[in-house]
Formats: sequence, structure tokens, C-alpha cells
Amino acid sequence: MIDIMYDILKNLDRRWIFLLMFLSVGIPILFQLQFPEKPTGLAKAVFKEIENLDEGDRVLLAWDFEPATEGELGPMATAFALHCCKKKVKMYFLSLLPVGPQMIDETISGIVEKDFPDLVYGQDYVNLGYKSGYEGVIKVIITDLRGLYSTDARGTNIDQIPMCQDVESVQDMDLILSVSGSYPGTKEWVQYAATPYPDKVRIVAGCTGVQSPLLYPYIPEQLPGLLGAIKGAAEYEKLVVKKYGGLEPDPIYQEGIRRMGPQLVAHVLMIVLIVVGNIVYFMQRARGERT
Amino acid sequence: MKRTIPLLITAIGGFALIVAFFIPETEGWGEVAAIWFDILASIAFILGGGNLLKIHLKKISDRPAGWGYSVVTVIAFLITLTIGFLKIGSPPATRQEYFGESFAPLRLSAFPDSQVTRRPGQIPVKADGAPLPASVREQLSQENGQIAFRGWMAPTQKRDLSNFQDELEWQCAVETLFAEAQPPESLSGKVRYDADHGALGFAGIMQESERDALLAMESGPEWQQAVGRLFEQSRAKHIVVATSFPENLSIPESLADAVSVDAQDNTITVTGPLSTSQRDALARQFPIAHPVAGERRRELRGEIEKRGSSFTDAQEKTFEKTLDGTWTPQQLRTVLDGAGKAAEQDKTACEMFAEKTAGVRDIEPTKTVGEDTTLNEAQVALLTRFADDPDASPGQLIDDLKAAGTFTGGQVAALNSFIASIPTVGQRNKDLCFALLRAGPLTQDQRDLLFADDRAQHSWRVTVGELFAAAHVPKYEWSGEYREQGSPFWWMFEYAFKPLTATMFAMLAFYVASAAFRAFRAKNVEASLLLGTAFIILLGQTFAGVLLTSWLPESLSGLRINNLTVYIMSVFNTAGNRAIMIGIALGIASTSLKVLLGVDRSYLGSGDD
Repeated sequence: MIDIMYDILKNLDRRWIFLLMFLSVGIPILFQLQFPEKPTGLAKAVFKEIENLDEGDRVLLAWDFEPATEGELGPMATAFALHCCKKKVKMYFLSLLPVGPQMIDETISGIVEKDFPDLVYGQDYVNLGYKSGYEGVIKVIITDLRGLYSTDARGTNIDQIPMCQDVESVQDMDLILSVSGSYPGTKEWVQYAATPYPDKVRIVAGCTGVQSPLLYPYIPEQLPGLLGAIKGAAEYEKLVVKKYGGLEPDPIYQEGIRRMGPQLVAHVLMIVLIVVGNIVYFMQRARGERT
Repeated sequence: MKRTIPLLITAIGGFALIVAFFIPETEGWGEVAAIWFDILASIAFILGGGNLLKIHLKKISDRPAGWGYSVVTVIAFLITLTIGFLKIGSPPATRQEYFGESFAPLRLSAFPDSQVTRRPGQIPVKADGAPLPASVREQLSQENGQIAFRGWMAPTQKRDLSNFQDELEWQCAVETLFAEAQPPESLSGKVRYDADHGALGFAGIMQESERDALLAMESGPEWQQAVGRLFEQSRAKHIVVATSFPENLSIPESLADAVSVDAQDNTITVTGPLSTSQRDALARQFPIAHPVAGERRRELRGEIEKRGSSFTDAQEKTFEKTLDGTWTPQQLRTVLDGAGKAAEQDKTACEMFAEKTAGVRDIEPTKTVGEDTTLNEAQVALLTRFADDPDASPGQLIDDLKAAGTFTGGQVAALNSFIASIPTVGQRNKDLCFALLRAGPLTQDQRDLLFADDRAQHSWRVTVGELFAAAHVPKYEWSGEYREQGSPFWWMFEYAFKPLTATMFAMLAFYVASAAFRAFRAKNVEASLLLGTAFIILLGQTFAGVLLTSWLPESLSGLRINNLTVYIMSVFNTAGNRAIMIGIALGIASTSLKVLLGVDRSYLGSGDD
């Protein structure tokens, strides 16, 4: 029996693994598998930074992600937008990625316009759109916003937008919220905005799982709070929904928690696969076979 | 020179950024260098596009294995570029369009001299040398001790000009100038001149008498041509085929000249452009939902139940609750009484200037206009009767209210606004249908009954929308967003780019799983440590970590997987990453210096000067 199993596993076609992965993600989605979330310190720190803002404070929302990473970052972007709308802060959206404007559009049409119709464009939120230049853009707008943004994404002169009239640079923002999936992203915002002006610029961020280990060195001085991947989004969602979601929160604001179900099963599958792979490896060694 | 110039640009740009970072006074140098960098970065997109084409066209030409992918890439690139760049299928931006108006180009110099307004006065000179507001700079001038304004002044121009100098005398002069710099009374509110856009505009249909009045202002060919063009544009006819007409279709009085219906051919004709308020007035052909109570409520319920099963308990409650939630005559009375209160109005600058000249010290900026007007008993009774009569029309109500007592213009506006906010019978029935469906089942007949009015309403709104679009002549064809919802670019992004990139990223999960099974082996101590860490992080990133070790006592809570994950990330990971980052930073510093000093020229490629 062991030998049969050994032979099967040793020569296991990778398509079976693909199928297992498909089922481990598909079944929890189908059955809406959900688990409780306990917010960690970093998620609480992010929540606290936004909670500390007063009505009318300025928040820069840097949406530096694209459809490829939307699965990981979309829920936290949604939760950030909900939190900002509830806090009634002034939201300045921008992106350093060419497809970032579409991500901003989704947040504005799906959250701000849909659930907060009383917020007025130009007074409560503005879309500054995309600018090419990667970290070069941050380098300029940190001292001179108008140096690059003479208009918003709609082509309206920035001086005619009430909420932009007294903003000279990013240093006038009370907080930067960076959601990033690649380069340029949170790392660049930390290096070129928060680090040179530690007394004026505060930043918290949400990033992909791959990026988060690279951002830990900046915590907590340069980056007080960080949401890592869908796990971080789920923890933060829990905090936001608990305070602002009401009795029957809209499912759109619990997307991170929902996506944690498939993640759990997929992670367990990965562990099982690694364990099984190592059992096969040690059996091969014990039998003197080529590994 | 081929290598020296790039070397110089690199060195100057690099050193400017370094100096700007350390010396605050030179911060501007860094900004300029960074702005140049951003401009060059955007140009790099063009080079990137060219390079993409070059590489893939070569592949297509050489036909190596997989050249078909290059064909797909090139086609996708060209289609995206063309559709996005030319904004194919993107409608003009509504916020930049002027609905209900026709335009003809006209230079400011061709504007009639007879319409130049002059009045004695001096344009103030600001101590800081600030120029006049941009919106009036071209049109306002000082001529022989007089202020001259060429064109007709718009309210926004008046505001900008008033804000130019915060003195009552100047603001009063601006008010006077604004009042004088207007078109003749017969054309007031219809014709305007927009100097920024260099265009003469006309709202609605231009009558022959109005054309003649405009032509008489100036004999210059450019003016005559612009007026002629406006006359033609404002009288252009557009025909739309309607699927059906509302039962009691009545064309609003304001559109009597512009809209005509041919019920036999099922066509509707519009002359000239329609404004959004005209469009809404034409679309509003359906009765508003009056409160439904008593016998009428029972009748409505009976009618619904007759077409299917009886309501469940939950549906019965929903039915009552939905119909109880409509408006009441008391609400309408409160609104009208509120609108009848004497209004606080800002005083004009001339009024305040007169007070100041008369020696008033504490000038109040506002004044009370009119007297408080509340509805009398007869008017209140009319409101109740209006609510109870589903066939009563708002127009008749206004006439009756005026006949029964004092009824101000503000109250008329408030009444119209209140009526506009009331859902129509179709909308109410549709909402009722959805509410009942949430509480229980409805048969198809019942649904059809409740949706019938809304369907007719929707069909008419679509027809009016088509008519509105046909009558509109876009002023800025290209003003729409390339990614406007519904545009071809938007479709490509939503239904090709987005799912494809998401799929590519998601497929990583499959390959990582396969790789983990085959390659993640505890071959030695280092690999075993890596494996153990991976287990902890993988479990710690899910609820499984909490679940597996939650039994550990508080004294050993540090060993719980979720806490171990945080510990590993914040201690081992941070320490390792910081070491790497410091090393990279030192490497960048030395490499950058070599590049800036011209020691390392490898980035320039090979080749001699």
C-alpha cells in the first residue's frame, strides 16, 4: 500500500495539483466559507491613524495598483475609501501607474458616489489622475503640487477646484494612504515623501503579500501602519465595519474577510503539499533513489 | 559630442538633485530637474511603443516559432492606441457641453462696437502688480479715463472682477458696469458672448426679429456670418421615431414652438437644441403618486391579488409600510410655509457704498426682503384635496392656491421642487413590486401589473433622451474621457485587459503549489529552517494559525502561530531586509557617483565620440 502511494506521489502529474488548488479555492468561494479575524497591531495602527483625523482634514489616496493585484488590494482600497468618507475628510486621489485611474474610477463610482451621494466633487473629493515619472512625481509634488498637477483628471484647472485652492504641496496633506502593488508604490512614497519630511508627512499603507516584508524595515518611524495582503485588509475591514458598518454591513465592505476563506484552504493545501513532497523526498533518500 | 552631452545632462541633473536635498535654498533646482525627468519619462512611453513595434514587427518578419503571439500583440497595441488616442466612441464630456445653446465662432475684435460699454472710472492697479482676472483680461480696458468692456458680461466675470479689489466703491462700479454690459432687453438671457472660447452663443430658437436685431448691431462680415450661422443652427430640425407616446401627452408651454408630435407616423420633431430643463419637462408626462389610503388602498390591493395569489403576512406588512411612506399634505404645507418666510438677501455693493457715503458706521451686509407668508385655511384645504385626488394636476393647484390667497414666487418654486421629488405612479409601483418580492412571491401577471406604468415611462424617457441627443450639437467633440463607461476603450479594459491580467496573476497560485510540492525540500539545515518559517507564515496568515495554537496558555502566548508570525516578520525579516537595504544604498551611492562623474559610462552603450 505504501509502495503504491509512494509511486503515485513520486510521479504525480502536476495537473492533479492544479486541480486540488482549483478546488481549494473554488469550494470555499462557492460555500461562502468565512472565519473570524482578530486585528493585529499594524492594522490597528492604520485604523488609528485615520481615526485621529478630523472632519475636513486632507488625505492623499495614492492608488498605485492595477487589475493584476486588485484581488489583493481592492478590498483594502474599498475599506480605506469607506473610512475616509465616514470621517468626512477631503480625499485627493492620484496614481503613479498608467492603469491606476481606472482603479480610482472604480472607488469613486463604486463607493463615494454610490454610498455617499452627498459628497461633492471638488469640495469633498478630487481625482488628480495619473502622471508619468514614477518616484519623480513624488519628488516634485512633495514641494510643489502645481508643478505637475495644473489640472485634475477631468481637465479642470486646479485653481478652480475649491479643495485644491489652498494646497501647495503634499506636505499640506494630513495623511497619505498608499495602496500599492508594485513599483512605484509605498516604498517610493516612504522614501521620497515621508522620510525627508518626517514632521509634516504621515503615511500608512496597504500592499501585496510579496511587498510587505520589504516594507517592514520602515515600521514604525517612517511607516506607522501597514496592511499586508488580503489578511491585512480583512483585519482592517473588521475594525472599520465594526465601527461604521451598521447592523447590516454591505457585503462590498467585507470582501477581504470573504476572500480569507479560500486563502486559508489554499494555504493549508500548500502545507500539505510541502509535507507530502518532503515525505516522498525522504523515502527516495532512504531507498537510495535519485532525488 | 554624442557621449559628452548625455554625460553633462546626467551630471548636472544628478548634482542638482543632490545639492537640492542638502541645501534648502536650492530646493527649486531639484524641482526643475524632477519636472524635466517627468517630462522625459512621458516621452519614454513613445519610445517604448516604438520599440515594442520594432521588436514584434521584426519577429513577424522573421517568423520564428511563436511569431503569431507577436501578431496578436501588435494588433492589440494598435487597436488600443487608436481607440484610446482618438477617443473613438467616447461621448463629449457633459460638464463641458452647453445644452440648449447654439454657437458660432467669433473673434473679440469682430464684436460690435455698439455693444462696447464705457463708463467713467479707473481700473485699480494692485500694489503687488497682480494682473486683472484672466476671465476679463481681454475684454476690459482703460480708454481715455473710462473703463471699457467689450462684450456682454457674465455673472462669473462680475464675481472675478469684484474680487479683484476689496473696496465697496470698486465693487459698486463693477455692479454698474455689469448691469450696463448686457445685450438689449429683447435678447436678454438668450444671446451671450464667450471671449474665452471666442464664440457667440444663442439659447433656444432664434426668431427672425431677433436675428434682425442682432444683424443691425454690426455690419462686419464676421459678425453677420456668425449671426447667420446661429440662426440656421438654432432652427435645425431633428426627427426621432417613438415606440409609443404617453396617454395624456401634453407638450410644455416652454416647448410649444420647439417640439411637435405626429401620432400617425409615431414621430416627434424638435427644432433647435434642447436644454436639460426642457428635456426634463418633456419627459415629465406621467402622474405623480398621490397618497393611497382607505378605499383606494383596498382597491389597489384587490387589483394586485386578483392577478395571482393573496399576500402573505410579510407581504401585507410590506404593502402597508410602503404605501404609508409616501408624502402627506402636512409635509407639503410645512415646505410651502417655510418657503413663504421673508428671505435674508445680500445687499448689493452699491447699496452698501451708498450707506457708507451717508456715514453709516456698522453696515449690515444683508437685508430682509418681503414679509412672512403662511398658507391660509382655504389654501391648506386645497393641499388636502390635491393629495386625495389622484387626477389633480400641479399646475391647477398653483392656480387655485394663487386664487385662494397670497402665494409668492418662492412658494411656487418650492411647490415645483416638492412635486419633482415625488415619485411617479410607475416608480412607486415598481418600488412596491420589489418590496413585495423581497417579502414573498408574486405571479408574472402581478409583476406585469406593477411594472406596466414604469415600462411606459421608461420607453418615453428613452425617446426623449434620443431626441435630446439628436438636437444637441457638441461644442467639444473630443472633450469626453477615453475611458468613459460604455466606450470601446472601457469595454476593452473591463472585459479583456482586466480579466486577462487578473488571470495571469492568479495563475501564480497553481505554479507556486506545484513548485512547492516538487522543490521545497528539507535538504539541509538552512532549507529546514526556511521550511519551518514558511509553515509558520503560511498558517499565521490565516485563521488556521489562531485555531491551532489558541489552546496555549497566556504565559506562552508568544508561541502562538499568529504571534510567531508577527515576531518573525518584525524581527528576523526586518533585520535581514535592513542589512540588504543598507548594502544596496551604499552600492547605489558609489555607483551613482561613478555615473555622475563620468567614470562609469556603460549606460551610454558602446561607441566612440
